[in-house]
Amino acid sequence: MNVLSFIAKNALRNGRRVTLTVSSVAVSCALLVTLQTLQRELTIPPESEGASLRVIVRNKVSLMQPLPARQLSVIERIPGVVAVSPFTFFGGTYAGETVTSFAQFAIDPERFRGLLVEGRIASGDYDDFVRDRTSCLVGADTMTRYKLKVGDRMKFTGTFYPIDPDLRIAAVFAGTVDDRGVFFNHKLLDDVTGGGSTVGTWYLRVASAKVAPDVITAINAAFANSSAEVRAETERAFQMSFMAMLGDVKSLTLSISAVVVFTLMLVSVSTMSMSIRERFRELAVLKALGFRRREIFSFILAESFGLAFVGAVFGIGGTWLFWSHINLQKLSNGFLIYFEVTPRIMAMGGTVAAVLGILSAIAPAIAVARMSVADGLRTLD
Amino acid sequence: MANDPIVQVRDLRKVFRQGDLDVIALNGVSVDIAPCEFVALMGPSGSGKSTLLHLIAGIDRPTSGTVLVQGINVAELNESQLADWRNQNVGFVFQTFNLIPVLTGFENVELPLLLTQLKRSERRRQVETALELVGLSDRMHHRPDQLSGGQQQRVAIARALVTDPALIVADEPTGNLDAKSAADVMLILQALARSSGKTVIMVTHDPKAAAYGTRSLHLEKGEIAA
Ligand SMILES: Nc1ncnc2c1ncn2[C@@H]1O[C@H](COP(=O)(O)OP(=O)(O)OP(=O)(O)O)[C@@H](O)[C@H]1O
Ligand SMILES: [Mg+2]
Repeated sequence: MNVLSFIAKNALRNGRRVTLTVSSVAVSCALLVTLQTLQRELTIPPESEGASLRVIVRNKVSLMQPLPARQLSVIERIPGVVAVSPFTFFGGTYAGETVTSFAQFAIDPERFRGLLVEGRIASGDYDDFVRDRTSCLVGADTMTRYKLKVGDRMKFTGTFYPIDPDLRIAAVFAGTVDDRGVFFNHKLLDDVTGGGSTVGTWYLRVASAKVAPDVITAINAAFANSSAEVRAETERAFQMSFMAMLGDVKSLTLSISAVVVFTLMLVSVSTMSMSIRERFRELAVLKALGFRRREIFSFILAESFGLAFVGAVFGIGGTWLFWSHINLQKLSNGFLIYFEVTPRIMAMGGTVAAVLGILSAIAPAIAVARMSVADGLRTLD
Repeated sequence: MANDPIVQVRDLRKVFRQGDLDVIALNGVSVDIAPCEFVALMGPSGSGKSTLLHLIAGIDRPTSGTVLVQGINVAELNESQLADWRNQNVGFVFQTFNLIPVLTGFENVELPLLLTQLKRSERRRQVETALELVGLSDRMHHRPDQLSGGQQQRVAIARALVTDPALIVADEPTGNLDAKSAADVMLILQALARSSGKTVIMVTHDPKAAAYGTRSLHLEKGEIAA
């Protein structure tokens, strides 16, 4: 026997207590890690360098108000603008679904080429998409989800527009932050909206993140006092303003996390002091045999820390395995995309468990240190 | 030198404070114990026997007076010096055995040796020797709940002597044992004093047990009775 096996035997002596402590730490860690992951997912929107290079121009009055198509020639001439395409939210439903979780946009295929910065064409042919005005460009995730292949047809039902596009898949894109969208030729909309006089928004790319603010100012100024004043903002800012609608998610998850941690603390502190109190007399014997306070303290600490550690491994490791093996994007209808349990979040969960392991050892250790051996021996088992 | 007392107790007083009340457990005890003596401490309940034993063994501190063990004033050691001193010089035997329930007999005996620098093989040899001395070699891998009371007490004695201390203190070691086991335990303690050079101080209520000793001391109300 060595000191470590002595500590392990002590830690494992009471099966009920081991189960209670390990499972409460595990469950709390799992909850904590999941909440933190959720918070990260909701408050840090999909971010990419491209998102700060892309600018969305919309009607100042509201996102729903269209913009005149003639604005294109003005925007194109503004210095710093590299590419610009109409970008109109179609909002149809796919194949008779009541709710379709991926968005469809009408764009100008030739112009849009310059906007797919991080994306690449995974299969099919982009030129085919440009040539055939009844074809579409589809995100790889949507292809997988509906088991589609290039050449298949996708039939949409319009909700805002009186058309039901029946589109042939010409090309598939992948590698963007959200590989779900379906893009089709704006001309299909133009046919039913009076010959192409309006668009939903403009989607454009600027030369660098540095010039983005100037471009935005210039665009806003160009249409000031016109019949259609605009509001331009980077895609990132656009996402952020959308996220703000999710409300105060951060303080909500934070307060739930605090409750979880506090409960965890109560459970582990009370089981630890219970188990030490049961062993007061034994610990007095150890003292009589010559073990010092600091040795007994380290026994108690190692025991409590060890149980917390095992709980954390189960809780955090299990959570990580769970979320990385489950297709949450599919389950949540695309609401949650990554739900990535990052090393940072796991470390945070581990730290909380470790600190609690240490905290719950302190009170019993102090009680044992204070106890005189003679008094400890007098306590009845 | 050999006849110098190993334990010298002088004017020892111990007063416990209980609420507003002072309980005088020891009221000026002086006694000398020579090496290899086997002393039986007797006296009515509450007379201060356990208290005297605790003070000699360095697990409690006197209110006044001194305890010298091998010339060392036990009360002057600090907590951790005292812990080391106990580990090296005192072996404890209790009425309720006080073995660690999750450890085997062997491991219980090994426990005090974890505080020494001994290698694993040396520890093993010493533990086996001690268990042989108490006649328990065959049951050393059993846990306490698999042993009889007498066997548990013999494991406890092996634990007390495994570090080869000069002094063995026992507080009513036969109090929880049947007559046969009690006699076995007494013979072992007697042998330790007679042939292993240990000094044994034992608290007991049982005159039969006291008869194994070389001397009896009687306490009455915290004082040595003539
Ligand atoms: N920690 C304590 N606090 C208060 N009083 C105490 C304490 N320890 C002992 N006493 C008192 O001191 C006196 C002597 O106690 P001690 O335990 O030494 O008696 P004892 O001779 O061993 O008795 P017994 O034969 O019943 O074991 C008793 O009156 C006891 O109540
Ligand atoms: Mg007593």
